[in-house]
Amino acid sequence: MNSYLKDNVLEVKGVSKKYIDEKIIENIDIVLKKEEFVTILGPSGSGKSTLFNIISGLINPEEGQIFINGENVTGQTGFVSYMHQKDLLLPWRDVVGNGAIPLEIKGFSKKESRDRVEKMLHIFELQEHGHKFPMQLSGGMRQRVSLLRTYMFSSEIMLLDEPFGGLDAITKFKMQQYLRDVIRKIKGSVLFITHDIEEAIFLSDRIYVINGNPAKVVEEISVDLNRPRNEEIIASDEFRRLKSRILKLL
Amino acid sequence: MKKYQNIKDKMLLIGFNLIILAIWEIAVDSGWIERFILPSPSDVIISLWVNSSEIFKHTKVTLFEGLVGLVFAIAFSFLMAILMDQVKWIKKIMYPMLVISQTVPIIIIAPLVAMWFGFGIAPKVFVVVLVCFFPITISLIDGLQSVDFELINLLKSMGATKMEIFLKVKFPFTLPGFFSGLKIAATYSIMGAVIGEWLGGKSGLGVYMLRARHSFSLDKVFASIVVIILLSISIFYLISILQKIIMPWAKFKEEK
Repeated sequence: MNSYLKDNVLEVKGVSKKYIDEKIIENIDIVLKKEEFVTILGPSGSGKSTLFNIISGLINPEEGQIFINGENVTGQTGFVSYMHQKDLLLPWRDVVGNGAIPLEIKGFSKKESRDRVEKMLHIFELQEHGHKFPMQLSGGMRQRVSLLRTYMFSSEIMLLDEPFGGLDAITKFKMQQYLRDVIRKIKGSVLFITHDIEEAIFLSDRIYVINGNPAKVVEEISVDLNRPRNEEIIASDEFRRLKSRILKLL
Repeated sequence: MKKYQNIKDKMLLIGFNLIILAIWEIAVDSGWIERFILPSPSDVIISLWVNSSEIFKHTKVTLFEGLVGLVFAIAFSFLMAILMDQVKWIKKIMYPMLVISQTVPIIIIAPLVAMWFGFGIAPKVFVVVLVCFFPITISLIDGLQSVDFELINLLKSMGATKMEIFLKVKFPFTLPGFFSGLKIAATYSIMGAVIGEWLGGKSGLGVYMLRARHSFSLDKVFASIVVIILLSISIFYLISILQKIIMPWAKFKEEK
């Protein structure tokens, strides 16, 4: 993929963050290009979520800036969409209603918001579940709705924070294939957090490996596996070579 | 199967009560318990029938006071809960005050209430508000404060205002708690109105009960109690029905 020719939609420049007196992340530089899938891979508790909170503007970094399409948006919310490990669906809203929340916040009427979500249901393979409530859905289905809501806010930059961390291994693998297909269809740019090495290699164009205390980017790895990727790729030599290279860094 | 179980449970409840009533009836009719100490269930029913027009007149007054008080209590609870949720120092000051307000024996301050508000409907409503607002306020504030902060953060990251977060997340989130509090309050509301009427006044079930007791018409006292129970249960069930209408999603909890 010659994604290097495309514009940077998101740039994280020299970001550091302290919590009380302890530095959690130090001098992090990350670039996300249009329609690229980039993963931040690191052990649990390495400050990955803190980094996401900074990018989404919920907290301010001590040092460094966040640029979106070349504009400094450090500490400002409303520019990137954010998906959590918890689905955070509202139990009193059906699938369409949950997807409509970001549009309502943007100022669209309830009806207009619902109409727009209805049109997207088939892309997220939710067309038969539009009027179900979250309580009636399985964990994997709920994460689909959560992804739909994330997309409805913005497909330009989607931050996915260990979205499949709470799922069992089989559901997780199905969801990874599902995410691969959906992202291709919606042409989204994704910044993905995980501590699962295989998940990172399977989904990403590039991987930033972060480690240490405070956490720094220890290596940036380009994943040159052909797309579309299928489950057989996990057994390929290139895949195993990347996996052992990452394992040595952690 | 579930429906069958439901019917079985209801039969058990009704059967148990019928047995108690039968024992009571026999105990009084056989002279084992004197009538002026305890009227029999049939005495109470006859009294309810004979005095129905008078009891109905007093019931209307009590029901009105109870419902008006409940509405005021709900409005006051929302105001307090929203203020305490939005402004930290108000919560720090008011929360202990609310608890203290419930430890004051109402029977003792009730005559003072009559002095402050006169003998009209106002002191009765005040007593109802005093006993009803507490469970509603506490359930509301606890509900507002237990909303997942990650959910609030998610809405914030979308650029939602405080008002939007309140209306779209916090308020619906507190509804189950609100209804629990409201059900407790509802059972207190008629009681509160009756206590308010004991302080003085011209009408209401409380007044009627006092008069009946002074003339040793225990059957009338018991008839009033039956009415109070029926009223309280009716309000309780009305609120349960209202909850099912307002929160249709809650029924899915059982399915999974």
